[in-house]
Amino acid sequence: MSLMVRRQIPILIVFVTALIIMADYFLQLPPIDAVTKKSWTSSLVTDIQNWGIVLAAFALGFGAVNLSYLHTRHISRRTKGQWPFSIWLLLIIIIFAVTGIRYGATSSTYSWLYNSSYFALSATVYSSLGFYMTSGIYRALRARNLESMLLLIVGAIAIMRNAPAIAVAAPIVINMEAWISAIPTTSAQRGIMIGAALGAIALGIRTMIGRETGFLGRLTEAEKGG
Amino acid sequence: MDFNTVFQIWAAALFTIWVYSIAFRDNPFFKFAEHTFVGAAAGHEIVMGVDNVIRCGWTPFARGAFVYAVVFLLGFLLYTRYSKYFWMSRYPIAIMVGIGIGLSMRAAVTAEFIAQISSTAKIKVLGVDAWTGFSNILFIVLVLTVVYFFIFTFPGMHGGNLGIISRFARYGMMAAFGYSFANTILSRFNMIFGRLDFIMSQWLPLPGAMITFPVVLILLVYAMIPAEKRPWPKPIQPG
Amino acid sequence: MGGSEQKGIWSRLENVPREILYGLLLIAFIIPMVRPIGFPIPISDESKRWYNWIENLPDGSVIMIDFGYSGGGEPELGPMAVAVYHHMFRRGGLKAIAMSTSTEGPLLWEKAMAEVNPGQYGAQYGVDYIHIGFITGTETAMAAVGKDLRATTSTDYKGVSLDQFPIMEGITDASSFDTLIVYTTGGDQSEGWVRQWYTPYQVPYLCSTLAMMVPTMLPYRNAGQIVALLAGATSGQMESLVGKPARGIKSADVITTTHILVLAYVVLGNIAYYASKASRKG
Repeated sequence: MSLMVRRQIPILIVFVTALIIMADYFLQLPPIDAVTKKSWTSSLVTDIQNWGIVLAAFALGFGAVNLSYLHTRHISRRTKGQWPFSIWLLLIIIIFAVTGIRYGATSSTYSWLYNSSYFALSATVYSSLGFYMTSGIYRALRARNLESMLLLIVGAIAIMRNAPAIAVAAPIVINMEAWISAIPTTSAQRGIMIGAALGAIALGIRTMIGRETGFLGRLTEAEKGG
Repeated sequence: MDFNTVFQIWAAALFTIWVYSIAFRDNPFFKFAEHTFVGAAAGHEIVMGVDNVIRCGWTPFARGAFVYAVVFLLGFLLYTRYSKYFWMSRYPIAIMVGIGIGLSMRAAVTAEFIAQISSTAKIKVLGVDAWTGFSNILFIVLVLTVVYFFIFTFPGMHGGNLGIISRFARYGMMAAFGYSFANTILSRFNMIFGRLDFIMSQWLPLPGAMITFPVVLILLVYAMIPAEKRPWPKPIQPG
Repeated sequence: MGGSEQKGIWSRLENVPREILYGLLLIAFIIPMVRPIGFPIPISDESKRWYNWIENLPDGSVIMIDFGYSGGGEPELGPMAVAVYHHMFRRGGLKAIAMSTSTEGPLLWEKAMAEVNPGQYGAQYGVDYIHIGFITGTETAMAAVGKDLRATTSTDYKGVSLDQFPIMEGITDASSFDTLIVYTTGGDQSEGWVRQWYTPYQVPYLCSTLAMMVPTMLPYRNAGQIVALLAGATSGQMESLVGKPARGIKSADVITTTHILVLAYVVLGNIAYYASKASRKG
C-alpha cells in the first residue's frame, strides 16, 4: 500500500496526464459536443494546462527556499568571509518579495527596485562571460588538428561577416557565411535535433511507463527495489 | 532628472562595475554584487509566482472554479519535499511532468522529426547547377552522418571502415560549432556594449560621476589585494 | 643566448596576462564609443524578409508577441523589440498583443514601451497594443494560451479585466492571431513556440533570439517552420530599415573593432603557440 501511494500512483498520474494530452491532440474521442464540435478531452486538457500553470507558479518559490536553507546555515555557523553576505542576500530576498507583493509586480515602486539592482546585475553577469571568452580565445583556441582547424576557419569567416565594416569591405564573406549557415551548420544542427528528438521521445515513454523515476526525487531503499 | 532616477542610475552603474571586476580578481565588492543578484533573482521569482497564482489561480477560484482549491493544496504539497513527508511532493510533480511530456512529445514528433526529415527529403540534387547540387548532396550526407553519429553508439559502429561516417559527421559538427562560436562572440560583445553604453551615456554625464569613477576603481584594486597583504582592514587572527 | 631569448619572447607572448587582454578589449570597445566611426551596416536578406512580412500584413492583423527574454538579454533583444514596435506602430492598422514567458518580461516590456513612446504614433494601450502578463510554465503557458486564452488569463499584466479592452474583442485562441513574434533568451521558449503554436495552428512565426542561439534554430527556419530568424545583435539592420537609429546602429562600430581584435587574438595566440612549441623543440 505504502509503495503504491508513494511510487506507483505518481507514475500512474504521469502516464494518464500525458496520455490525455496526447489523445486530445491526435484523436477526437467521443462523446463530441454538438455545439463546439470538440471532444470531452478538449475542455479537460484546457483545465489540466491551467492547473499546471498554477503549480509551476508555486514552484517558483523553490529558489528562495533552497537559498534560505543554505545561507541560514552559513549565518548560524558564522562561515568565515561568507556570513555577512548571507545576511545581505536573505535581506534582499525579503525586500524584493515584500515590495513586490505589497505594491504589485508591475507597480512603479517595484519597477524602480528592479531597475536599480536586478536588471543591471542580470545584464552585467550575462555579459561578463565575454571577458572569459576572450581569454579563452587567446589561450586555448588552437589549430591542433583538422577538426580544430575547421572550427577556427569557419569561425573566422563568421566573425568577419558579423563585423559590419569587414562585411561591407569584403562582400565575399557575406556569401561564404551564408553558405556556411545554410549547409554545414543547418545540416549538422538538424542531425543533432533529430537525434535529440528521438532521445526525448524515448525518455518521455520511459518516464510514462515508470522506467525513469528521476522526477520522484530521493528514493527509499524499499522504493529502489520496487 | 528626479532623485529616484538618479539613484537608480548610480546603483546600476556601481553594480555593473563591481560585477565586471571579477574578470580581474575576486573581491568583496563583487561578492556583494553577486549576493545582491542571487537574492534579487530569488525574490523576483517569488513575486512573479504570487502574481501568477493570483491571476491564473485565485481569480478563477473566486469566480466559482472551486477545483482550484485542490490545485492550491497540491501547490503547497510541493514544499513537503524538504520534510520527512517528501513523497507527497511527488503528486504535484507528477502532474507537471505528465503535462510536460504530453505537450512536448505530441508536437516533437511532427516539429523535430517528420518536418525535419521531409524538409531534407525535398532537397533537389538533380536539375540544379553544379555548385547547388554539390551543396545539397553535402547537406543530405551531413544530416545522415550526424544522425548516425548520435544514434549508433554501440561498440564497433564508429570503428574500422564505418569510422569514416563518424569522422565526416565530426567535421560537419566542427563547422557548425565554429559558426556557433562566432555568434557567441557577437552575442556577448553586444551585451558588454550595452552595459558600457549605459555607463558612458547615462551614468558618467551625471554630476559627480566622473570623480567617483576613478575612486571606485582605486577601491576595487585595493580590495583585490589579498587580505593578509592589505594594510587595512587587518584580517581577524584566530585565538 | 639569442635562442633562449627567442624562447622567452614566444613563451611570454603565449602567456600574456589576462589584464592586458581585457584592457585591449576595453580599449576596442571604448574608442569607437567615444569617437564613432560610422561604419556602414549591410542589410541581410533575412532582415528584409522580416520587415516585408510585417509591412505586407493586411490591416486589422493581430500579432502575438512574446517578451520572453531576461535582463541579461536586454542589451541584445531590447533594441530589436523597440525597432519592430516602431515599425508596427508607424505602419498602423495592426494589433499587438504581448505576453511573457519570462519572469522579467512585463518589466522589460515596459522598458521597451518607454523607449518606443507609442503616443507619438497615436497608438493607445488597450486599443492598439496590450500586455496580458507573465504566464509561468513555458510550454504549458504557450499551449494553454493557444488553446483558450481567456481560460488561462482573464486580466492584463496589471490585473485589469481583458473585457475592458477593445483590442481583445474576438481574441480567443491561437487561431485569432495572424503572426507570432518571439524575443527570447531561452531555447525552451524559441523551440516551444514551434511545437505549441506553429505545429498545431500553423501561426506564422518570426523569431528573434540571442546570436548564439541562431544556429540551433536554423533547422526550423530551413524547414519553413519559422518565417524569419534574426539575432538580436542585428537590430542595427532593423533600425536602418525602420528609419529609427538607436542602440543597434550605435553598436556597429564597436562590433567591428572588437571582432577585428578577436581575429588578431586568434592569429597571435596560434603563432605564439606554434613558435613556442618549435623553439622548445629546437
